[in-house]
Formats: sequence, C-alpha cells, structure tokens
Amino acid sequence: MRRLLALALTLFLTLPAVALASESAEEESSFDPAHEWDLKTWGPELKIGPLDMSINKAVAYLLLGMVVTCLIGIVFMRVKIGRGPNRRQALGEQIYEIAQVQVAEQGLPTKAIGRWFPYVATLMLFIWVVNMLGFIPLPLSDERYEIAGVEIPTLAIFAATSTLSVTLALALMTFVFTHVEGIRANGAIKYFRSWIPDVPKAMLPLIIPLEILGQLMRLISLSVRLYANMLAGHMLILTFIGLIFVLENVFLAVVAIPAATAFYLFEVVIVVSIQAYIFAALSAIYIGSAIEPEH
Amino acid sequence: MLSSFFVLAETTGDVADAGKAIALALGIGLGSLGAGIGIGTIFGSMIQAVARQPELRSELQGIQWLGFALTEAVVFYGLIGGLLAFVLI
Repeated sequence: MRRLLALALTLFLTLPAVALASESAEEESSFDPAHEWDLKTWGPELKIGPLDMSINKAVAYLLLGMVVTCLIGIVFMRVKIGRGPNRRQALGEQIYEIAQVQVAEQGLPTKAIGRWFPYVATLMLFIWVVNMLGFIPLPLSDERYEIAGVEIPTLAIFAATSTLSVTLALALMTFVFTHVEGIRANGAIKYFRSWIPDVPKAMLPLIIPLEILGQLMRLISLSVRLYANMLAGHMLILTFIGLIFVLENVFLAVVAIPAATAFYLFEVVIVVSIQAYIFAALSAIYIGSAIEPEH
Repeated sequence: MLSSFFVLAETTGDVADAGKAIALALGIGLGSLGAGIGIGTIFGSMIQAVARQPELRSELQGIQWLGFALTEAVVFYGLIGGLLAFVLI
C-alpha cells in the first residue's frame, strides 16, 4: 500500500515536468529564475485608496500558512490529558518547550514572559510554517498547464517569506512593540534616555544619531536576514535546475539535480528552523532589552 | 597562430553587463569569505567549550545558533546589495 502511494506520488510529481517540456518546445522563452518573484494578481483587483489588497501568490501562501499554524495550535496544544502522554501530546509539549526555554526565556525578563510569550511563540511557529510551506511543491503558481482540458497551476516552490514586504511587516511589528513596551514599562523619558550610553558630554552629538540609526538598523537587519535567506535558498535551487534549460543540455542533470537536492535538504533541515528561531529569539531579546534597559 | 588565440578575447555583447557580473560575483565571494571565517570561529569555540565542559552543551547551543545566524546573514546583506546594484545601475 505504501509503495503504491509512493509510486502514485512520484508519477504525480513528474506530470508538470512533462507538461513543461512540451510547452517549452513550442514557445522559445528564456528561463530566468527571478520570474518566480513576479507576483501577478489573482482575481479582481481590490484597491482601497493607496492600499493594494488584491490576492497574489504570496498572499495565498500567507493565508495557507495562517490556516496551517492555527491547525498546528489546535491539534497539538488542545490534547485531552490522559494517563500517559501520547505522541501528539509529547510533540505539542516539545514545541512549547522550545518556544519557552529556547526563545522566550533567552530574551524576556521573568515578569514579561506572561505578556509576550504568546507573541514570540506565534512568530516562531508562523515563520516556521511559512518557510516550510515554501519548500513543499504546491499547485499555487502563476503558470498553468493542461491535463485533459482542465487548466491546473503547475507545482512550484515559493515561500511568502522570500518577499521583502512580508518580512518587513513582521519586523515592523516587533519594532513597534519594542518601543511601545519600553515606554509603557519605563516611561518615555527614562526609556529614551536609556538608549544613550554613559559617555563624555562632548561625544553626545556623535553618539545620539548613531544610536537612533542603530535602532532603525535593527528593523532592516531583522527583515533582510529572513528575506535574503529564503530568497537565496530558492534562487540557488531554481538556478541549479534551470541550468539544464539555460544551457539546453540534458546531461547537466547529472550534476545539477544532486546539487539542487543537496541545497534543498540543507534549507529544509537547517535554514528553515534556524531562521524561524532567530527571528523569534531576536524579537524576544529586543523586547526584553526595552523593558529592562541595562542602566 | 597567435592571432587565433586573440580572437577569443574579442568582446561580444555588452561590456558593462560583463563588468557588473564580475563585480556581483566578486562581492558575494568576498562577503562569503568573511562569513566563512566567522562561522568557523563560532563552531570552533563551541567545540572547545563543549570539550571543556560537556554539561553546558544545551545552554551553549542556543547562543551558538544565534551567533551562526547573525554571522551567516552577513553574506546575504552582500548578496542583496549586489543584486540591488546589479538591477538598478
């Protein structure tokens, strides 16, 4: 039974390759891995003033990620506690423990964990899910192919976190929460004074702009780190596979496919989890250092 | 005889594009050099620390991955900067 399923899955995965091959023979278009990031609008355009609310590939991935995150929360955390922990409960507790010990307690002071643990745990889980969805081939792409007269989107890998808008929105949330929480816990004057280190008065005109710039650089580094990691991962895999089509040589597949698979495994095993962990841990550290400034 | 070699050096296509490609590759290459040294230092120190005090392993692991990700991101700042320059200029 399991073998039959695996065979069916393999056949299903090869279908788009066959369809793409027959299509590319007809139209001579050059392959460019960057086309994967041209986001076309799906359905009607929903524009509210300057806000563009229309659905595209990245939005679809985000919505799917949201649903999956909610499902993980419901399935693993709402377990009826029986006599012995079953596998579901054990996994749920493991996720919770990573979120608490590795993320929240690293950065947040004890008194703030109750308030900010939900936020950092959600960040970790959500970014992990969206990153992971980016490496599972899903039929959510802009290109279509025909099977028996029905147009179906091709299977593609695309992570919503490999677009800067998504990661910038997440980083902006942390940025806003950091300062709001800092002001709430310390009072505005005391909080902004805590930015400035103890230096001679003559140095202050030099130090103050640097410190303000440093706060803004956190925003940039937090968003660009996640964005660039996911972008580079997808770009590497696409480029290696694309080499076969760019140089039009089938024998390159001997080199290109193992290399792409190696990068794929590296991304799935290490980068996806590390980036989710880093984003949540740094958010916790930033919020924690705003609540309890060093001096 | 010699001239047949020099034919290879004749430029075809846009020279500015070639220059941009070389600059992009050099920038990413040098950027990853720095990050490589940094990541090596982090894991080397981790091995030393665990060899001295194996009981601290789980506590050190969080710091290790934090440092790894912060260092690794340096390559990608270079990559994004290079790509921006490649596309915009």
